[in-house]
Amino acid sequence: MQKIEVSLENVRDEIKKFYDYKQWHFLTLNGLALADEKMEVQWIFSKYEAMDEIVIYYAVIDYNEIIPSVVDMIPSAIISQRELVDMFGVQVEGSEKGLYLDEDSQMSPLKGCSI
Amino acid sequence: MKKTINIPLGSQHISLLEPVRFKFECENEKIIGVDADVGFVHRGVEKACTTSFKFDAIGYVVARVCGLCAITHSLTYTAAVEKLLGAQITSKAKYLRILLLELDRIHSHMLCLSHTCENAGFEAMFMRIMGDREHIMEIQELITGNRVQFDYISIGGVNRDLAPESVQKIKENLYIVKQKVQGYMDEFTNNWSLSLKFKGIGMLSLDDAYMYNAIGPLARASGLRIDVRNEIDYLPYHEVGYKMQTHTDGDINARNLVRLAELVNSIEMCENILNGLPEGDIFTKIKGKPQGEALMRFEAPRGELMYYIKGNGSAMLERVRIKTPTFSCIPAFSHIFLGGDYADAPAVLASFDPCMSCTAK
Repeated sequence: MQKIEVSLENVRDEIKKFYDYKQWHFLTLNGLALADEKMEVQWIFSKYEAMDEIVIYYAVIDYNEIIPSVVDMIPSAIISQRELVDMFGVQVEGSEKGLYLDEDSQMSPLKGCSI
Repeated sequence: MKKTINIPLGSQHISLLEPVRFKFECENEKIIGVDADVGFVHRGVEKACTTSFKFDAIGYVVARVCGLCAITHSLTYTAAVEKLLGAQITSKAKYLRILLLELDRIHSHMLCLSHTCENAGFEAMFMRIMGDREHIMEIQELITGNRVQFDYISIGGVNRDLAPESVQKIKENLYIVKQKVQGYMDEFTNNWSLSLKFKGIGMLSLDDAYMYNAIGPLARASGLRIDVRNEIDYLPYHEVGYKMQTHTDGDINARNLVRLAELVNSIEMCENILNGLPEGDIFTKIKGKPQGEALMRFEAPRGELMYYIKGNGSAMLERVRIKTPTFSCIPAFSHIFLGGDYADAPAVLASFDPCMSCTAK
């Protein structure tokens, strides 16, 4: 499992350079609550027909930062972007709340969950 | 200006036993827009795993995410914990784990195929397959003690050894089901209701399968060679006769044929395991508490299941992330519906074999 740190400003560029959709399979987005009102956002990929070759791009962010969408490059990312919005109460470009929670819900069940 | 109408499918629908709603925007009979609502029964399992349960109990908690692939859930989580603890599992436990994983796949695929028959109006075939599926449920009960929630996998191995007197009965049941599957092959290939009717319906091209990151039988029916069993060496799948099953047509018929071929391969793997099961212990005592992060994947009946866990050296984990197969296929599902007839939607949906229990974990 290879982890590559990126900033929110360059995450789209980094993924664009890396992601060949016939070589790499996008698994999901993941969120991880950290201390000091921060969280880690992970974009997880695996290589097709390779032995457990996993690459994770990650960014450490404040909850109020806006996460850029990668849906134009990875259409299937929309569902995990929406889940991230619901569960962590963050903003992801073009992704609305309401996948699991009510659209006007004030809850963010996993925000700060682990600290 | 074209006039469109919105037609919902679900959340309660005669052809769909799962709490999911697709809202179709239709122009006459053609679907031109799709909106999926999957959040009817969200249970907060991820949060419960980090707030209410210690790491050694979570394997049993996550087995409750899904009644069909309970073994795959508990194994994927357990394997992630074992990775963090540096645990070495005995060969016998590994083979028994594959045996149960493949039994999960067999009865789940049989359930899907039976629903496909039901959607085709072939009620008799639906009942035949569900009746035959009982042989597999019986095997699971013989091995684990339960028909549904097995609690068979534990950190360090498995909880019950295979009783010598059960082996013959398991082989007999597998043989019966194998013969039945040959009969299904004939029906799904030659019966108009199950073959021609489903050809060219619910198409997913290979390029779109890549683009939408399709997984499981849905992807393999479009020719995309993705199967976690081929991408991990944690379990000795290549020693027990695993062969990837693919098709190129990408329609409902191709998905049925891939599942049928996987049924045959899974039964063969189970037979090989029973014929060559190593001697030894089924359980190794593991000490310690998980620290660090681990990501583990296994091939569930519907495709890739992923668990990400992070531990801090205490009994409570910091994060348990569950990525289920149906969840990641929702965008692909929506894409497949576009341009199709509304009348085909229930059959197309059944061919996805969606599991909302997993999705709304």
